[in-house]
Amino acid sequence: MYTNPKPCKHLADYKLRHGLSGYNLLQEQIRTTPSGKSSVKNHQTEIPRCCFCNGYQKRLYLCLICSSISCSSHTLLHSQCENGHDIAVDIERSELYCVLCCDQVYDPDFDKIVMLKHLMDLPRSGNGVDVSAGRRSSKRRRLCSALELDLKKTKQLVSMRDLRAKSCYPLGLRGLNNLGSTCFMNSVLQALLHAPPFRNYFLTGQRNHEVCRKRSSDRLCLLCDIYVFFSAVFSGDRTPYSPAQLLYSWWQHSANLASYEQQDAHEFFISVLDGIHENGVKARNTGECHCVAHRVFSGQLRSDVTCMSCGYTSTTYDPFMDISLNLDTGNCPSTDLANKSLKPSDNTYVSTLLGCLDLFTKPEKLGSDQKFFCENCQERQDSVKQMSIKRLPLVLCLHIKRFEHFPVRRMSRKIDRYMQFPFCLDMNPYLSSSVVRNRFGNRMFAFEGDELDTSTEFEIFAVVTHSGTLDSGHYVTYLHLKDQWYKCDDAWITAVEEEVVRASQCYMLFYAQKMLYYKANEDLVCQPVSPRADPFLPIAGCC
Amino acid sequence: MRNSVNRPPTPDAVEDQEKEPTLQEIINIKMIESGEKEKLMELLRERLVECGWKDEMKALCRAYIKKKGTNNVTVDDLVHVITPKGRASIPDSIKTELLLRIRAFLASAAL
Repeated sequence: MYTNPKPCKHLADYKLRHGLSGYNLLQEQIRTTPSGKSSVKNHQTEIPRCCFCNGYQKRLYLCLICSSISCSSHTLLHSQCENGHDIAVDIERSELYCVLCCDQVYDPDFDKIVMLKHLMDLPRSGNGVDVSAGRRSSKRRRLCSALELDLKKTKQLVSMRDLRAKSCYPLGLRGLNNLGSTCFMNSVLQALLHAPPFRNYFLTGQRNHEVCRKRSSDRLCLLCDIYVFFSAVFSGDRTPYSPAQLLYSWWQHSANLASYEQQDAHEFFISVLDGIHENGVKARNTGECHCVAHRVFSGQLRSDVTCMSCGYTSTTYDPFMDISLNLDTGNCPSTDLANKSLKPSDNTYVSTLLGCLDLFTKPEKLGSDQKFFCENCQERQDSVKQMSIKRLPLVLCLHIKRFEHFPVRRMSRKIDRYMQFPFCLDMNPYLSSSVVRNRFGNRMFAFEGDELDTSTEFEIFAVVTHSGTLDSGHYVTYLHLKDQWYKCDDAWITAVEEEVVRASQCYMLFYAQKMLYYKANEDLVCQPVSPRADPFLPIAGCC
Repeated sequence: MRNSVNRPPTPDAVEDQEKEPTLQEIINIKMIESGEKEKLMELLRERLVECGWKDEMKALCRAYIKKKGTNNVTVDDLVHVITPKGRASIPDSIKTELLLRIRAFLASAAL
């Protein structure tokens, strides 16, 4: 996270002698543009010039003690002429500079003064930044409850260690029969089976299906069926399982998707989570939902729309169960074909997950047909929208939009472009605290929501891949368990090398908070010797 | 009456030459005063971010810092190292666009 750089000797001296007086005097002259850039603009109408050479084209620095302006070539001269005049401010950027160190220096007190001026100048309501004392986020509570899910009765999981450990698969690996183009379901189920807190919820008896009211009245209960499904997969029996009951249950919930046609795995995922939510305990109207789907997968997105005329920012928060990302293609709109662009042409630019996340959190200019009604200006203005993540879930599902729809031509196609993805993911740069901070430049300033105790590191545990076309394709899931990758292709489970996974065409990526992932892996001891199946038989089955 | 009383003050020749603004300066001043320069700077920043130039520069800076070590690099160093590369790699389309804007401004300001 952020650690403030230590001040240099000269800055420390300056602070001792002058305290905040120089900063305070400067505050009045700071002006910030709607886009967030702070500059020092004094009342004079003349352009600032270096007092030595009269130049105005280089970086100009304003001495904090005597307010004389020097260009980058002459700051040292000024310091030599006037003893102790070592600290200056870059006029255009409002950043501190130490003349003797020839380097930028940082002081939280200074940044605070710049930020306060900026916030004061902004239109009164909706400045995109809340300086209220940050409420202690419920993040800690959520993480604690996740750990409870983890620790409670984990002894219930089988603990008998098979001494022939080397060649047996971890617990919970079982092929799933294809019931008629149901690989979309099988692939997502494999991922859900190993989402740490989700898995533990069902395996540690928190879902008490004996007292389920629906089942007792002979109605279908999606949660109960999932519980049964989990029990079956983790039972130690390695013969491929047919999740028919679960499929039927899900059909009841999502009638519009009930058919033997190939469906979209992501749609299935959302629909299952929705089914769990609806079937679960009804939450109070206010506050967070405590169904297992929300507890595990839900996070919060922040959307800021900034008026380009006055800087007024309207902020909204929306929950999410997953994030759908557009592929970053490295195309820049302003380069024409004749011009040599910086990035190599489409053929060689490699899309990456971080690139997609960058794209997701990039400020986007809203088109002139989407002018935003600015409360401050009281008229429609051109504006900029920026997304960021306010609160991360325990398990992050990232969905890569690979299906492109052309409503005009009434056709859809699949984007086969390869996308590189990391096994360890740090989501810090995409948090609201980071994104909002960057908007104001390089400032050390505590924003509300700077959650210092939040972990932003995630580990991948499942990848759902798709091969083929839009109409006829196949889903396969790769699971990352105990440092080994397994390919789950319907009923066939095989151990594979890491390279295979890296080279695959990912469609949905599942990341778990690092701590939860490692804890979950500790629990995955080898299966017991099952009376029915030989543990060494490679998992196969007839489809 | 002595002629010296009515004689105009001796012009300070050296000072005058320094104060004579060049065309470039006049244009610059006009652009700043009218706010056009700030607008063009914003436009330039936007374009340079869009086409990936900023990311390229960031990457160059990171590479340089990695080579020298984080504690051995100052902002001045970076500026000196990056500037020639940065100037050289600006896409022509951006240069053209800005020149057109400046030309339009000059026409409208009747310079």
